[in-house]
Amino acid sequence: MRSGLVILLVTCVAVAAFALIVQNPFLLDLTFAALLYAVLGQAWNWVSGYAGQVSFGHALFFGCGAYGAALANWHHFSPWLGIASGIVAAAAIALAVGFPCFALRGHYFSIATIAVAAIGEIYVKNADWLNGAVGIEFKLASAGLGSLQFTSKLPWVFLALAVFALVQLATIALENSRMGYYLRAIRANQDAAASVGVDARAWELRALIASAAATALAGSLYAQYTLVVEPESILALPISISIALVGVVGGLGQLWGPALGALTYAFLAKYVAAQLGGSGRGLDLVIYGGLICLIAALRPSGIAGYVRELFARRRLAG
Amino acid sequence: MELGPLPQLLVSGVLAGFVFALIAMGLTLIFGVMDVVNFAHGEFLMIAMYLTLGFSLVGLQPVLALPFVALALFLFGAFVYRIFVRRLLEGPPEASIFGTFGLLVLLQGLAQFFFTSDVRSVNNAWFTGAVRLGPIRIGEPELVAALGALVVAIVLYVFIEYTETGRGMRATSEDRIAATLMGIDVQRMNALAWGIGSACVGAAGALLMLTYQVYPRVGAEFALTAFVVVALGGFGSIQGAFVGAILVGLVEVLGGFYISPAVKLIPVYLLYLIVVLLRPQGLLGRR
Amino acid sequence: MKRLIAALGAALLLATAGPVASVQAADKEIVIGSILPLTGTFAQTGALLKAGQELARDLINGHVSYPVTMAGSDGIPSLGHAKIKLIFADSQGRPDQAATVAEQLITQDHVVAILGSYTSATTQTASLRAEQYKIPFLNPDSSNPQLTERGLHWFFRISPHDGTFTENMFQFMADLKKAKNWNPKRIALVHEDTLFGKGFGDVTEEIAKREGYTIATHVAYPANTSEVQSEVQKVKASNPDVIFIASYLSDSLLYMKTFKQQGVDIPIIAQDAGFVDPGFIAGLGKDANYMFTRDTYALNIKQRNLGVPLINELYKQRSGGKNLDGNVARDFTAVTVIADAINRAKSTQPEAIRAALAATNIDGKRTVMPWKGIKFNDHGQNTEGAGLILQIQDGQYQTVWPGFVASKPPIFPIPAWDKR
Repeated sequence: MRSGLVILLVTCVAVAAFALIVQNPFLLDLTFAALLYAVLGQAWNWVSGYAGQVSFGHALFFGCGAYGAALANWHHFSPWLGIASGIVAAAAIALAVGFPCFALRGHYFSIATIAVAAIGEIYVKNADWLNGAVGIEFKLASAGLGSLQFTSKLPWVFLALAVFALVQLATIALENSRMGYYLRAIRANQDAAASVGVDARAWELRALIASAAATALAGSLYAQYTLVVEPESILALPISISIALVGVVGGLGQLWGPALGALTYAFLAKYVAAQLGGSGRGLDLVIYGGLICLIAALRPSGIAGYVRELFARRRLAG
Repeated sequence: MELGPLPQLLVSGVLAGFVFALIAMGLTLIFGVMDVVNFAHGEFLMIAMYLTLGFSLVGLQPVLALPFVALALFLFGAFVYRIFVRRLLEGPPEASIFGTFGLLVLLQGLAQFFFTSDVRSVNNAWFTGAVRLGPIRIGEPELVAALGALVVAIVLYVFIEYTETGRGMRATSEDRIAATLMGIDVQRMNALAWGIGSACVGAAGALLMLTYQVYPRVGAEFALTAFVVVALGGFGSIQGAFVGAILVGLVEVLGGFYISPAVKLIPVYLLYLIVVLLRPQGLLGRR
Repeated sequence: MKRLIAALGAALLLATAGPVASVQAADKEIVIGSILPLTGTFAQTGALLKAGQELARDLINGHVSYPVTMAGSDGIPSLGHAKIKLIFADSQGRPDQAATVAEQLITQDHVVAILGSYTSATTQTASLRAEQYKIPFLNPDSSNPQLTERGLHWFFRISPHDGTFTENMFQFMADLKKAKNWNPKRIALVHEDTLFGKGFGDVTEEIAKREGYTIATHVAYPANTSEVQSEVQKVKASNPDVIFIASYLSDSLLYMKTFKQQGVDIPIIAQDAGFVDPGFIAGLGKDANYMFTRDTYALNIKQRNLGVPLINELYKQRSGGKNLDGNVARDFTAVTVIADAINRAKSTQPEAIRAALAATNIDGKRTVMPWKGIKFNDHGQNTEGAGLILQIQDGQYQTVWPGFVASKPPIFPIPAWDKR
């Protein structure tokens, strides 16, 4: 537990120092994206890593947050109110959907999350109160914490860093709590856990609600950052899948997995795509896909698992 | 009584279902034998469609190219199993989910690299008209595709139910350890399942080129429906996949007409959710 | 550099009497940012747009005179012949990335104006950044009507938007009514359900109502669909006189095949996208014939600017043999428009450039576009542009409307499916 806190502190200081030094919008954007994806990956990890119920529908929660912020801007409310209502909406949907769906296991659950998120996407595309397929563009306001709009990228990096730290702290707490042990027990063997009186559905539901809330928070930050929400780029299946890939490339059910996965993803999606994608011929996809294949075949415990193995080996050797 | 377009919608829905069935049967076969969902299944379809396009460019009609495409996909599927999927099975269950996802991204990227993102189609001179049955019109390409799907489904069913190898495969899917003890080579069965499952999608790709067009992301349009069909019918159940596909085809077409095309997939997803919440193993799946 | 030399060399060869001045070293440069989707889904388009903008830049910085605004003016005359420099930035086709590179162009590269950025969604976000930093943003080619309705002070658009384009479809129908004694009343409206299709659907409903047409059925369908049976049955059951449709390529092919299968031979007027893609005729063969579609541009028109074929030849050397199309032609034009504004502003101050842009007045004959001209209204929208209506005749796109540029008269009424 202590080592986790120390690493977190060092990481935060390092990221903050990096952001203050570089000043380059491109690199700051990359940092923001990495932090945001680390938050999304970690939130997903609570349900799919620790509790072992693989979700391909997290874009729905992401969308709740994004649309909450956008609606607040549209109707001239404070963005903070929008963020809060987005989080509440995500948690409510998680409860309503999670309760029946946690009766399903394995792939049946995963396909159900796809189905629910797809229904949500189709609904939003046809809902006039959310401006349908056209989406919502934010009205510009004077910069500041009140409007949650900034002309520089620096405040965004710090906001994302704060949320990232919060989510990591929550995960450290989770790992050392009763809930963490129960979730792992459920993941390992649901029937055995049930036989000693662990109510799988109740614990999974708690994990999902927390996960939905954190995902919504990240969604509203993303919306305030880009100042546009629109179903295709917020709610579609590829968004859910990239959230899941961040979680798994880093390493499922591991504290630092999502952060490492997010760093890899942000680097590949933003940097390598910019360098290599110039041909527009999908070389970036080839590299990313190839990397996932290699990790799945050779290091199924993800990057974090591999790093841990390396340390363990060195300790053994030493 | 005035039926309006109902008979036409029923026929169109069932015909659409046949093609979904062919894609879904390959997927469910692979799952049944080794508990792996091939998320790159749609990309296998895409490869089959490009192959069919290639054959048509040298003058071979899709219907005639079908056996060659199916054979090529059989070899490809078995190859992918041997060099890649086999390793995934040694890891935790999520390794196979994400491994096949990686394969999806990789194959899409390669297709974009080699073929660009242009949309291409076969100018099929053989089947272009429509057959009229009273008020009902059936496109010849759709009819040929549906008949082809039916033939392939019957061949697959006979193979699984009545041949020695088919029985071995079923034994493997029921109890892997028992199958090993009985002297069945599980690795060989797995490779065979990947080969045959891919051959199904190969046949589907050849038939789809009669009515559809190919581009690197084409798999996504069909794969999502195929996953829902397979889960609806029950993972691993070939008959379930067939019934599920016809149901999905009907619900999509009828829902589109009587509710609204904009939301025509909502009834499909709702159907899935309702069925699995009542029967968590799907329509014809085993517990 | 090699390309530039090759292009200028070719220009010299092609232009019979170009004044050849001595080459001066450029002591000053005017830096303009250009945001394009150079990677991602739209990368191929992005590469062509880049080639078109570079061609315009080289013509402006060169000495060879073409009948196009600013071409051959050896840079910006009012600023001591300072040369135009374009800095290209990649949006990856993603709204968030477009905003980031806009910021980077402004704060790091200190551009005096920004051009961009093809898709409506990226233009939306990038132009918001320009607004925040008070830098002129000139959009050549995004068609969402909302873009110029946002009350932005620094945003200008050269292209007509989907509202105007849809008006053009109705004007064409009105002309056809008069000429061919045709009396359509009921419109079947079909469109895909993302930004593009939805915008088209809303505008069409509005105009149809104003013009006294009935919307017989309004079919919005999911863009990534694998069959359109229920959609086509809805159209058929509504018994329309004409079909208005907006689809991308894959679904446009699906619709044509299903219309044929179901014997729907009602006249179709399409809103470009899939229907003007080279893959449309390639995928359908003779079944593509008689379709009407709106487009922005065609080389197959009665040219009013005789320099266009020449410029097309220059462009083909940079595009790997591809002809000018509507997107490239608009991006080419955007560079000439911003150069013209800077020249009149006699300054690189953003506010001066903005004021000059607002006062733009270019005759259509001095552009490569089939337009009356370029003149911005209070919203920053060019009011002098219009679309074309093409008809596929014998496997070729022919311009059939407006009359003053038409290459062929429309074939109407259209024959039934079994007579095509």
